Amino acid sequence: MAVETPAGPTLADKLYDKLFHNYVWKSIFRTGYPNTPRNQMLVVATNVFLHLHPTRIHRTHVKITHTYCLGGLSFFMFLGLTVTGILLMFYYVPSVERAYLDIQNIQTTVQFGQLMRNMHRWMAHAMVILVFLHMMRVFYTGAYKPPREFNWVVGVILLVLTFLLSFTGYLLPWDQLAFWAITVGTNIAGSAPVLGPKTRFWLLGGFEVGPDSLIRFYTLHVIGLPLLAAIFMAVHFWRIRRDGGLARPL
Amino acid sequence: MATAVVARPVARPQPRARDEEVLVWPDLVFIEFIAAMVFTLTLFLLSYLVNAPLLDQANADVTPNPSKAPWYLLNLQELLLHMNAAMAGVIVPTVWLVIMGAFPYFDRDNEGQGQYFATENSVRITIASAIVGFVGTWGLIIWDSGKGAYLVNKWFGISGGSNLAFLESERSIQQQLPWPEWSTHIPYLPFRGVTILGQQFLNLNFPAWLVEQAIPTAVLVGFPCMLIYVLWRKGWVVTRRDVLLALFSGFVAAYGVLTLSGTAFRGQGQELVFPWELKVSEGIPGQE
Repeated sequence: MAVETPAGPTLADKLYDKLFHNYVWKSIFRTGYPNTPRNQMLVVATNVFLHLHPTRIHRTHVKITHTYCLGGLSFFMFLGLTVTGILLMFYYVPSVERAYLDIQNIQTTVQFGQLMRNMHRWMAHAMVILVFLHMMRVFYTGAYKPPREFNWVVGVILLVLTFLLSFTGYLLPWDQLAFWAITVGTNIAGSAPVLGPKTRFWLLGGFEVGPDSLIRFYTLHVIGLPLLAAIFMAVHFWRIRRDGGLARPL
Repeated sequence: MATAVVARPVARPQPRARDEEVLVWPDLVFIEFIAAMVFTLTLFLLSYLVNAPLLDQANADVTPNPSKAPWYLLNLQELLLHMNAAMAGVIVPTVWLVIMGAFPYFDRDNEGQGQYFATENSVRITIASAIVGFVGTWGLIIWDSGKGAYLVNKWFGISGGSNLAFLESERSIQQQLPWPEWSTHIPYLPFRGVTILGQQFLNLNFPAWLVEQAIPTAVLVGFPCMLIYVLWRKGWVVTRRDVLLALFSGFVAAYGVLTLSGTAFRGQGQELVFPWELKVSEGIPGQE
């Protein structure tokens, strides 16, 4: 009588075991490969990046047409802008003598320099548009309502910070477009009653756009405002979780 | 004496409906990954095809005509053409941001959340307000540019003559009406000469004040109030949510129109032109 012997592990099984169950892998990822519900929940809960999310989410919120991923994409643009921005910082010096030439060099002599600059520019525009659309999505789904009042306020602050981030970056190429756009923009700010002229002077480091304005805009653009935005983003994301995730009907 | 402190009810997160939940990995994480990839690839493609602009090196002596702010501030630059600079550039946007930030403290009812247009009438309020915002803003821009009167005359042969010339634009109210001499320098009595926050109050130029501040304020406050009143009389606006829907939708439409007209419809000297007539000259100031 023939006895049925269980089939041994296939080559794929052995490979899988070698890859994901070895000592080094386990030291980095405590959970196994997320192919079972248990591991899938554990991987979200124990990974520092993924744990922005809860482990489970209401089924209506994974429908694309509910959020259109607008908030997440705004954040993704911020990350992309940070990466391309850092690459651009390697070549750019914020001085009146060098700024314009550096941008020309980035475009002509730096490998993929033109691509990086283009990415940075278009991502910045995309972020402004995405943040605005995200605000519209939140409004029209009534997601600012209790208990999410304060997170809406944080969102409005982030909208302003996005505008400011984009605005301070606009001067850096030091071309005619940049120079006159910032002249017009800061004139608008300078028209404020009482504090206007002082604000304009503080922003420009003088009475008109010049070397001091460039270094101020640069500092605000690469460290001041991103830091502030990152802090408010942290609060924004934290509050989403604390306030019970995305809004859903009562 | 002990004071009884009555805690106001604080909104709490809704209880979870666990049987309605799905796993974040893979159901959400994969969607996010795909969205991120689609955007990365699209932006790579866009960056490959279209270069970021770079004009000549900055030169404080050569003013391009028109000089424009970045596109997302062109709505404010458009407003600047129609009212006092402090109002257009700072006060109106600041007040609006504060109003917008206060939305959830005005509308505290948590009904109708988590769904698009969940409340009754919300779709029709949104559409009506957006149309009013769109048409109203374009109408005001065209009127104030003086093109309205010109086109009415050109197309329909209707002209108000010199008696109605003051209606051609906002500025013509100041220029065409026979304002008495004294109205342009009315002393700020009894505050004359008083300095408040660095501004000294001497005389009021009434026609200029009317055109630059009073009428724009009346329009900016009056039109939204009128919109809400009409929608309320029609029975569409009932709750505070409805009020906000009307306000916000009107704002989005007006904001879009202002940005568009500032970007694509303002030519040299900020004159209202069609997009295909836009020209930029690297002019020398005073010789344009």
